[in-house]
Amino acid sequence: MTQKEKIQEEIERTLQSLDSVKRAEANAFLFTRIKARMNKKSSGWESIFSFISKPAIAIAIVAIVMAVNGWALWSDNVEEIGDPENVSELATEYNSVASVNNYDYENIASE
Amino acid sequence: MTNETELIELLKQGDETAFKAIVEQWQDMVYNTILGIVQNETEAEDLAQDVFIKVFEKISSFKGDSKFSTWLYRIATTTALDHLRSKKRKKRFGFLQSLSGGGGDEKEQVPDFHHPGVSLDNKERAAVLFKAIDALPENQKTAYTLHKLEGLSYRDVSEVLNTTVSAVESLMSRANQNLRKQLEEYYNKHYR
Repeated sequence: MTQKEKIQEEIERTLQSLDSVKRAEANAFLFTRIKARMNKKSSGWESIFSFISKPAIAIAIVAIVMAVNGWALWSDNVEEIGDPENVSELATEYNSVASVNNYDYENIASE
Repeated sequence: MTNETELIELLKQGDETAFKAIVEQWQDMVYNTILGIVQNETEAEDLAQDVFIKVFEKISSFKGDSKFSTWLYRIATTTALDHLRSKKRKKRFGFLQSLSGGGGDEKEQVPDFHHPGVSLDNKERAAVLFKAIDALPENQKTAYTLHKLEGLSYRDVSEVLNTTVSAVESLMSRANQNLRKQLEEYYNKHYR
């Protein structure tokens, strides 16, 4: 028998090696472990974190936070800059701060 | 109503005894299917747990259009394949890290998975075959595992994969061709 024929025979025997395979058996305590995992999952923080860490939820939370921040900034600008009194107050404050030596940090508060 | 239908109805109502009965009835089938695909006993056990948790959570979506076992096989194979994909992604990331770190693991992987249901005299050959199965494309691997390890007919495999019997025949034929090719390469290198 040539080397090539021997290899072909080996391949056939290898392909047949699963013909009489028996079904692998699961751990006898599988149900107990499943229950333990389900109890752990349903108790408190883990379920909250797993909910929050879902990409869709996380992106939605970030979008909401950014929208609230944006709205807060926008509404502040509308109220303060839109009001002429606030504009003049801002100008006065800016002038007083600008007149202070920028390097004299310690005396800014006392002036 | 058959026993299986009764159990499913009870499970839909959240009955724990029914859940236990379902786990005990199907656990070997689920575990063996997953083990054939992931080829690691510890991972297969964790994934089998995941499958039954999914069954408990999603049983309301089981309308009885297919057999319960078909539905269960679908969840088991999808869970196992998702796990392999995520493992592959991590491996690729690790490979990139090893490139940037200067060292790569270029060792040839030896067949090291031994299925507990294989007889002792076939152990080494089966390990070589499992290594070759692991390199098959996903759908060929699933079809081959369900047919060879679970003993499903081509019709049953086609129901699990939601395809036709002729498509399964074609998948099995390509799987066998690929396995032969890989085994030939292996034995050309290692046959004494």
